[in-house]
Amino acid sequence: MKTSINLLKQYGNIDASDEKIIQLVKDHIGEVESTHDIGEEYKNITIAQVVEKEIHPDSEKLGVYKIDIGGDNHIQVVAGDRELPIGAKVAYLAPGATVPSSVNSQEKPFVIKAIKLRGVESHGMLGSARELNIGNDHNRVLILEDDAPVGEPFAEYYDLNDVTLEIENKALTNRGDLFGILGLSRELTAITGNPFTSPTWYNGQNNIEEPNGRTLPIKVINDAEITCPRYCAVVLENVTIKESPVWLKSALIKSGIRPINNMVDITNYISILFGQPLHAFDYDKIINNDEHSNGEAIVNIRMAKNNESMLGLDDKTYTLDDSVMVIADSLHPIAIAGIIGGQNTEVDSNTTRVILEAANFEKTSIRRTSMKLGIFTDAATRFKRALDLNHCMSALSRAIDLGKELTGSSIASRIIDIKQPIPENKNISLDLNRLNTHLGLSLTKDTVKNILTNLEYKIIEESDTSLIVEVPSWRPDVSIREDIHEDIGRVYGFNNIPLVLPEKQIDTKRKNKIFEMKKSIRKILSGTGGYETLNYSFVDSNLLKRCNLSPDSAFKLKNPLSPELSLMRTSLLPSLLLKGQENIQRGFENFILYELNIFHNHSSFDQDNLPEENWYLSAIITERNKTELDGSPYYTAKYYLERLLNAIGRENITYDLVADHLEMELPTEIRNVLPMFDPNTSAIVSFNEVHLGIIGELKEEIKGNFKLPPHSAGWEINITELSNIVEKAKTHKETPIYPFIKEDICFEIDKGVKYSDIETDIKRIVNNSKLMGRVECLDIYSSKELVGKKRITYRIVISHYEKTLAEKDIQIIKKQIEENISEKYNAIII
Amino acid sequence: MNQIEDIQKEFQIDKEKLDYADIKEKYLGKQGLLTIALQEIRNIPDEQRAEYGKKVNDLKNEILETQNVEQQKTYSNKERIDPTAPFDINTKGEKRNRISLISKGAVHPITKEVETLVEIFKGMGFDVLESRQIDDDYHMFESVNFPKGHPARDMYDTFLTEDGYVLPAHTSTMQNRALKLFGPPPIAVVLPGRCFRNEATDAGHEHTFHQIEGVYVDKDISLGNMLATIKTYLEAYLEKELEVKVQPAYFPFTEPDCEFVISCPFCDKAGCKTCGYSGWIEIMGCGMIHPNVLREGGIDPDIYTGFAWGFGVDRLTMIKKGIKDIRHLRDSNLNFLEQF
Repeated sequence: MKTSINLLKQYGNIDASDEKIIQLVKDHIGEVESTHDIGEEYKNITIAQVVEKEIHPDSEKLGVYKIDIGGDNHIQVVAGDRELPIGAKVAYLAPGATVPSSVNSQEKPFVIKAIKLRGVESHGMLGSARELNIGNDHNRVLILEDDAPVGEPFAEYYDLNDVTLEIENKALTNRGDLFGILGLSRELTAITGNPFTSPTWYNGQNNIEEPNGRTLPIKVINDAEITCPRYCAVVLENVTIKESPVWLKSALIKSGIRPINNMVDITNYISILFGQPLHAFDYDKIINNDEHSNGEAIVNIRMAKNNESMLGLDDKTYTLDDSVMVIADSLHPIAIAGIIGGQNTEVDSNTTRVILEAANFEKTSIRRTSMKLGIFTDAATRFKRALDLNHCMSALSRAIDLGKELTGSSIASRIIDIKQPIPENKNISLDLNRLNTHLGLSLTKDTVKNILTNLEYKIIEESDTSLIVEVPSWRPDVSIREDIHEDIGRVYGFNNIPLVLPEKQIDTKRKNKIFEMKKSIRKILSGTGGYETLNYSFVDSNLLKRCNLSPDSAFKLKNPLSPELSLMRTSLLPSLLLKGQENIQRGFENFILYELNIFHNHSSFDQDNLPEENWYLSAIITERNKTELDGSPYYTAKYYLERLLNAIGRENITYDLVADHLEMELPTEIRNVLPMFDPNTSAIVSFNEVHLGIIGELKEEIKGNFKLPPHSAGWEINITELSNIVEKAKTHKETPIYPFIKEDICFEIDKGVKYSDIETDIKRIVNNSKLMGRVECLDIYSSKELVGKKRITYRIVISHYEKTLAEKDIQIIKKQIEENISEKYNAIII
Repeated sequence: MNQIEDIQKEFQIDKEKLDYADIKEKYLGKQGLLTIALQEIRNIPDEQRAEYGKKVNDLKNEILETQNVEQQKTYSNKERIDPTAPFDINTKGEKRNRISLISKGAVHPITKEVETLVEIFKGMGFDVLESRQIDDDYHMFESVNFPKGHPARDMYDTFLTEDGYVLPAHTSTMQNRALKLFGPPPIAVVLPGRCFRNEATDAGHEHTFHQIEGVYVDKDISLGNMLATIKTYLEAYLEKELEVKVQPAYFPFTEPDCEFVISCPFCDKAGCKTCGYSGWIEIMGCGMIHPNVLREGGIDPDIYTGFAWGFGVDRLTMIKKGIKDIRHLRDSNLNFLEQF
């Protein structure tokens, strides 16, 4: 909301420079979005008087004038108005001046230059009301009042040498009172340490003289008491609609509101003073438009009927429904309550009688309607905050006074006031120790009392360490002691609070295993060449289809940003594949992309009935120049995963071919991604029967869909499950002092025999109370001739605890291994 | 509910006469009876949803169990590998693995910053609890003092799922859980996590971003304690002494509420591009936890007070690493990632 500093100073006791005031607002009230030097906008605009007049020789529309601006010479200006009389006072924009209406508009600011207009020299321009931003008329040059002093800056005469500031609405979400000049003035006065007393017209006792004799008939019916707790109205007659006086126009212009006519300007002015919006209806239009009126103006506050519509003051037709509160005559809406007036009861230059409305509308209802219809008027912005119920009557009576003064109107009805009981002002007790502890201050009772009374809290009761205070009616946001603590801290200055660390040292209570594990994973996987990525949680069904995944398993967004971002991903792999493809297009050929994140499956819920969330580590690995001769890409992926799992101490992990698994025994999340992996070249990763994930070669069609080379693999592992596996405890075993001897053994076995089974058996044989041994794989070989067979060469490195192993000892051990393995696996020793 | 029982009965008949492929299509296919029943879950009242979900899943498992191993094996024309071997048949040593030889590898800059910050918090005694990525209205709004219809809900353009779940727009969605999990006080916990806001993306705005929330509750905790704590960890993180100040702000979950501002660590208040030539950077929202939030978390606000803060890691990372466009952070472009 735009606020003029001069207006703030007019109503408050704020003795500070503009810069200082802006800083005080920032430090004590809320973020200042922008400041604006209005005087600057009106620079080079001077009050002038027409002294000579000619007809333009070459134009039907243009007039040529000589004007006096108080200097020795008269200046020639061409204007699009031939009707200016000699002697008229006008606003003269000299070359170099900027047209004020162009400053904050969408267009480029328009700077005046001396030019020839159809052959006649024009040294500047004479402004219209619209160009000067002080009215709507754009057809005529604005003629100023006779008392306008020739030669003086226009800004001076219009009281526009002022700075405005705009406080971020967000910072004032709960402060309806600060949407009025009076409220902001009070706050700033208190911040500068001065007492503030609201004028009586602001906070209450209003004596309005109701007419004695004849009154104009009006009937107000409130059928929306829940959303309209108070509705005040009055009929005014003998209204003379004309332009407002300069001071009023000036006040509105500075608040960013364009003056319209005296009656409408009064309602807007009251609104910026109080923060309480008012509305004026044309009384006669209400009666004339209403077929059922019988000469009585009917004002009905009610919820709209479905499909009712109304033409708003903004020329737009709004279709309403029963969630929208309206003001209606006996049949049709004449205003959307608290948001916008209707065009057919608008006050215009022929209006002589008006109904003034000052109402309180419930903020939630206004908020909903404003969002729903997309109308964001100043009135809606104010009604979205909780306002003082008392202000309806005080604002109305202030408007009646101003109406009398500026439009010559008089009261023509009794004062209508339909209201729910107005709650008493709240009393809240404060404990000084608690207050000081909460803020980290040591304020005396007197300081606290001063701040509170400056803000017009009333002290009801006090003791040495406590106060009971009455909250002003315009502060519905204050309901608990902490709200008052904030007021005190804010006014005293948060920046005056000493910085002290909490005294007691707190110790962490539990280790976050998953967080720590993810950290280790990043270190290891990135240390072996992997790149960590963060991808959107959103995918679309097209991407899922390219991965053979069903969109049905995904949570769908009700309000996605775009169709491409409409589903919550059901696996981390699709985004990785997409990013893999993009990086291949960028020329990268060999890489590991991985992500540690959460995904969701629409059929998995946790014990709180929320979508199940587990952490996953997923990766894709692709190498350009590898062929089938280089082995299955499964082994490349497994190399990295196994290294990683060993490094984080998760051993004894098993890998079983996907093709050997029953789909139904797998967790939903693994089952979901099965269609992406080739079952004969991929494995389920498990630990003690717990299935952690899947690893292996991507199906050919998936590689094709993402233009990945043949050597492409991936994995997806449940890290939450993995973190539940206890890290293998490592204990030291004494190493033999005798030399280690190498011995290679080669077995020919069925291809179906598992490498790890044999390795485990050999290890068992070469590790006992006498022996210590390691097993390595030297080679795995097969050929066309070895139908269904493979040959694995193991290297055994062994030592004895009590002696140097002699050749015959080795042969005995070797024999033992060979017999064991050949018997168990039907192996041939090569 | 009854609908599930009907499907159950129908399946008992079908499983005797249809084979697995047909059963799968009829019940679990795109237009399958159970698939449709599962979509219906959004129309089930909250209190019945869990039971309904369980019934659907039980039936789904029952249907899946009717398959046998042979039918299950998805067709592949590749030769079966031995997944337990260290490398494939006939793979020569020099061919085995090489990405680690030619690729540098990197941790994502965002997670790197999160890890650094969390390390500092841990040193200060904070626990760590990571944020959810789909949550409910209660945790995202109600438990942190945004009653239904509260105007402050407008401050967040929140994504919703069709079933009425909420994608957290701030890590405060974890506050209530943190208070319950780590209570009774003293409580000190940081809550890092991914957040979402429904706003159009440009160089400075992302619909997906990272936040770290902090919560500290104990007896006699003051606003002064909060300011000192935040200053201390920011100085440790930026490895620099800072001047700090606060501006009043408005958040429903804190009272008083502030915006925390630091002297620009890049120009020491001289004015530079990062701070918009103001010398100061607004770095986070913070405040004393609202008594309603404490109470909702099972903590008596008459005995305990506390503070909370929340800041965006993306912006911090961008400032620290000189990243101009926020969209780089989630583009997974190796040209970008390689630089970290």
